[in-house]
Amino acid sequence: MRSLARGGLPWLTPGIVFLLLIDLFPLAYAVVISLYSWWLVRPSETHLVWLQNYLALARDPQLVHDTIVSATFMAGAVSLELIAGLLLAVVFAQRARIFDLVRPVILLPLFITPVVSGTMWRLMFHPDLGIVNYYLRRIGMEGPPWLSDPGLAMVALVLLDAWRTIPFMFLVLHAGIVSQPPEFFEAAMVDGASPWQMFWHITLPLLRYIMVVAVLIRAMDAFREFDIFYVLTSGGPGTATETIQMLNYRIFGFGRVGLASALSTLTLVLVAGMSLVLLRLLARESAT
Amino acid sequence: MLSASVKTELQLYIRPPRWFVTPVFDSYRQVLFQVPFLQYFANSLIVAVGTTLGAMVLGALAAYGFSRFAFRGAATVRFLILMTRMVPRIALVVPYFLMMLRLGLLDTYTGLILAYVSFALPFTIWLMIGFFDEVPRDIEEAAFVDGCTRFRAFRDVVLPLAAPGLVVTGIFAFLLSWNEFLFALILSGVHSKTLPVVIAGFNTEVGPLYNEMSAAATLVMIPTVILTLALQRHVVRGLTLGAVKG
Repeated sequence: MRSLARGGLPWLTPGIVFLLLIDLFPLAYAVVISLYSWWLVRPSETHLVWLQNYLALARDPQLVHDTIVSATFMAGAVSLELIAGLLLAVVFAQRARIFDLVRPVILLPLFITPVVSGTMWRLMFHPDLGIVNYYLRRIGMEGPPWLSDPGLAMVALVLLDAWRTIPFMFLVLHAGIVSQPPEFFEAAMVDGASPWQMFWHITLPLLRYIMVVAVLIRAMDAFREFDIFYVLTSGGPGTATETIQMLNYRIFGFGRVGLASALSTLTLVLVAGMSLVLLRLLARESAT
Repeated sequence: MLSASVKTELQLYIRPPRWFVTPVFDSYRQVLFQVPFLQYFANSLIVAVGTTLGAMVLGALAAYGFSRFAFRGAATVRFLILMTRMVPRIALVVPYFLMMLRLGLLDTYTGLILAYVSFALPFTIWLMIGFFDEVPRDIEEAAFVDGCTRFRAFRDVVLPLAAPGLVVTGIFAFLLSWNEFLFALILSGVHSKTLPVVIAGFNTEVGPLYNEMSAAATLVMIPTVILTLALQRHVVRGLTLGAVKG
């Protein structure tokens, strides 16, 4: 083992150097850019402004608004996915045969190109052409113009995200439930526990760690989500469903790279902070 | 959507909606021949294959290093690699754009592939560490005794044994590149535009062309569906990067 320790370097170097160059360097570069007033259209006027970009962002009410939108989407989508995923996982826990059959169908939404699913849903939510409103009309309700109402547009986004990623929650939690030792349940059965008691007192506590991990991964992804916003609502109507990511893209679209980088850096700090909190939680969970 | 793609404009508006109509492949013909769709398809394919190869080679080397050599700080380095997955991609958009601009790599395959390999590499390394760990060391050591160098043992013994896992890893990397939108939107242009960008374009440029959009979207889905079905059993492990025992 000792002699092997030194031999590891040549194997690791290419990959790590690549990550340093293509991942870490741009991040550092973004921080540098964020200190400049830099407009792509007038590159000659680029000059150092230190923290002014950050101050401009701090004064912008749009950023507060977009942060709330991001948080709403994240909370709505992740909680819906967790509940639905858990339900499905419990339902399919003892039914391995059916699970094998449904798995391919369940997997698909997860891997379909997000832009494609967004397009599909846009068509479904179309006020006149969409099948959602068609069937609402059939049961005697006048379907709302989903994507041009601020609240409903958010509902549509959450539903789309849930449709795409409930399979993730389901599969991960299912794997967790299936690997739980049957002895506990047998013992509980002998003691005359009801299925609900077993779920509440055995399945859930044993599943906690996995649930925390799954929620962690999903929350991060939901926060970073960009594609479905771009395709389904483009942040609209107006800026009602504009997230921090969409705002960043919009600023970049104006060619204001300094300001965009400042927002990127803020996002990065925010995500790093969130990861740390979540990792703390995780460490505590695995300790117990 | 499948049904929308084989309808005429008129049928699309008919109510009640008909799920099954005599398929008209006009929209497919239009998508395939009027838009340079095949070119875009090829773009997507080239970028995805390039990404897969790049991530697999770099990933396999690094993962083997982590799997077989113990050194101080290994756990920390592994963890830091995983953390790069958490970086919101939008934070990389501006610096990437400016870097590629300087390097003259905007609107090239190389520019996109470089970006995607860096996205794919962290999970490629993590997945492969798991797969290499499963290959028993005894077999390699037998190869050493027979006079193999470490690299030959890696290439001729370990890689073939870990092959099924590596295929799974490769599929994940391929799908990541195939589905990616944000960087494709920003780094690609007329020459290297990939399919997600094309589909999003149907939405905005000339008003939504629902038939063409559906036809194009259906065509994009074909490789995804095939690869997803191939992944099936390994999906949980890939999704959670070994954080959960799947």
